[in-house]
Amino acid sequence: MLSRSSLGRGAQRALRRQCCSQPTNRRGLAAPASGSFAYQTGDSSGIKVATRDLWGPTTTLALVAKAGTRYEPLPGLAQGLEKFAFTSTEKRSALRIVREVELLGGEVQPYHTRENLILQAKFLRDDLPYFLELLAEVTSKTRYDPWVFDEHVSTLIQFSHRKFLANTSEMALNSAHSLAFHRGLGTPLFPTSSHPFKKYLNADFIGGYSGRAFAKSNIAIVANGADHSEVTKWVSEFFTDLPSTTGLSSEQTKYYGGEERIAHDGGNSVVLAFPGSSTFTGGFYKPEIAVLAALLGGETSVKWASGYSLLAKAAANHPGATVSTKSMIYSDAGLLTVKIDGPAKAVAGTTHEVVKTIKEIAGGELSKDDLKKAIAQAKFKELEYGESIRAGLELTGTGLIQGGKPYQLDESAKAIEAVTEEQVKKVAKELLDFKASVSSVGDLYVLPFAEELGLKV
Amino acid sequence: MSQPSVANFVLKRSWLRKWMLPLATWYSAAAGYRQLGLKADDLIPEESETVLLALKRLPPNEAYDRVFRLRRAFQCSLSHQLLPVEEQTKPEDDYQYLTPIIEEIEAELAEREDLEAMTVMKQNK
Repeated sequence: MLSRSSLGRGAQRALRRQCCSQPTNRRGLAAPASGSFAYQTGDSSGIKVATRDLWGPTTTLALVAKAGTRYEPLPGLAQGLEKFAFTSTEKRSALRIVREVELLGGEVQPYHTRENLILQAKFLRDDLPYFLELLAEVTSKTRYDPWVFDEHVSTLIQFSHRKFLANTSEMALNSAHSLAFHRGLGTPLFPTSSHPFKKYLNADFIGGYSGRAFAKSNIAIVANGADHSEVTKWVSEFFTDLPSTTGLSSEQTKYYGGEERIAHDGGNSVVLAFPGSSTFTGGFYKPEIAVLAALLGGETSVKWASGYSLLAKAAANHPGATVSTKSMIYSDAGLLTVKIDGPAKAVAGTTHEVVKTIKEIAGGELSKDDLKKAIAQAKFKELEYGESIRAGLELTGTGLIQGGKPYQLDESAKAIEAVTEEQVKKVAKELLDFKASVSSVGDLYVLPFAEELGLKV
Repeated sequence: MSQPSVANFVLKRSWLRKWMLPLATWYSAAAGYRQLGLKADDLIPEESETVLLALKRLPPNEAYDRVFRLRRAFQCSLSHQLLPVEEQTKPEDDYQYLTPIIEEIEAELAEREDLEAMTVMKQNK
C-alpha cells in the first residue's frame, strides 16, 4: 500500500488544487459563451484588457498595438519597432531579458501584421506578473540606441528583406495588396527594397514611432489562461509610464485594382485578388465572400486526395499547381485572394480555369450541394481560425482597440450560415464588375496577362 | 579596455581632490598630447575587441573628429612641430568621449560572464 507520505507533496498539492482553489468565475464547458471567444473585457487605468481563463497550466499573453505596416508614416517603421522589442531597456539588458525568460521557461515573440504589432509571451501561469512587467518595460522603457539599430535591427530587417525576395508567393500577395489598396493596407509587410533600412529608418525615428504606437489608446492587452482580476490588477500597477498621446490612424481604405508582373527565377506565383469583406464590426462585412472563398477553395481537407472544392478540381488537371483561396479581412476593407503556385505552365493553365470557374458561378452554374458544403466549411473555418489562440489574441485585440468590443465570432458564424445561393451568385458577379488586382511573379513568358484571362484591370 | 584610473577614489574625498587637482592639471598639460591637438581618449590603445566595438559605436561626428585629430597629430609628430596655441586642445574640450562607451561594453561582457556562471536553484514552494 502507498502510505500517505509516499504520495509526495506534488500529488497532494495537485489534489488540493483540484478540489478547493477553483476560481469562482470559471465557466463550465457546457455554459453558453457570452461574447465571441468568451473573452472577459475591461479597462485598467485607460488600457483595454481582455482575458479568458481557460483551465490549463500555461498562459499566452499578448500586447496588441494598432501599429502594423498600415499605420507607419515611413516605410519599415513597424518592422523596426518589432525588431527593437525585447532589446535593452533602461532597467535591464537584452541578454538579461532573454536569460530571465529562459529561466522561467517562457517564450517571447514579437511579430507584425498589416494592421497590428503584437508582442506575445507564453509562460507558466504563475509568472504572469513578471511578464506583464516585462511588456510594460518593453513598451515604455526600451532604449532606442543607434548602435542597437546598426548592429542588430538593420541586419535583421535585411534578412527579412532577402527572405521576402526569395519567396514568390509572398511577393505576389504583397504586390496584389499594393495594387488593390495602394497606400495604407497596401504597404508591403516586409521591405521590398533596401530603401527602408538605408534611407528612412534610424533609431530616433523608431523611438518616436514607439511613442505613438504604444500610446494608451492604441494598445490592448489580451490574455489567454489568466484570471481577469489578476491581469487588471497588474496592468494598472505596471503600465503607468505609457504615453497618453493620440494613437495612430489611417484613412478609410479604398479599392483600386490593377496588374503587376515581376520577373523572378525562384518560382511561379499568380495572385488574383478581388475586393472582399471587412471584419464583422468594420462596416463592409459580407459573409457571402467567406462562403465564396470556401466554395472556390483549392486546398484539400482530406488525406490522399486533391480536394473536392471547385478550384481543387480545376487544379487537378494541371499537376504541380497548388491553389488556395483566402478571404483576408481587415478592419475596414478586405481582399478575396486566389493564389496559384507551382511550375509556370501548370500555374498558367490553372489561372485560366480559376477565372472560368468564377465566371461560371457568376453566370449561375452552382449546385446546391456545393453551396451547402461551402457554407459548412466557411463556418468551420471561421470558428476554427478564431479558436486558435494566436489568431484569437490578435482579433480580440484589434476589436478592442478599434470598436471597443472583441471580435464577434458567433455573430459572423451565424451570418455565414444565413447566406443564400442568390447572394453568392450576386457577389461573384460583382467581383467581375470591379477591376481585379492581378499579380504574376515568375516566368513572365508563360504566365498570362489579365487581359488574356478575361479580367478587367 | 578603459584606462585604469584612481579618479573615483580621489573624487570621493574632497580634501584629497583639492590636493590632487593642481597636480593632475599640471600632469595632463605636461603629458604633451594636448599640444598635438589630441584628447586623452585618443590615447586608449585600439588593439582590443572591446575598443574596436566602442569605436564602431561612436556617433558619426565624433568618429570623424577623432580621425581628424589623429591625422593632424601624426603630421605634427612627423614634422617635429607643435600646433599653434589656439589650435591646441583646451582643457575643457578634453572630455571623455569614448570611455563611457567602453565601460558600457565592459559592463555587458561582465554581465554575460555573471550569467554564464550562474547556478540555478529550484525554488521550494
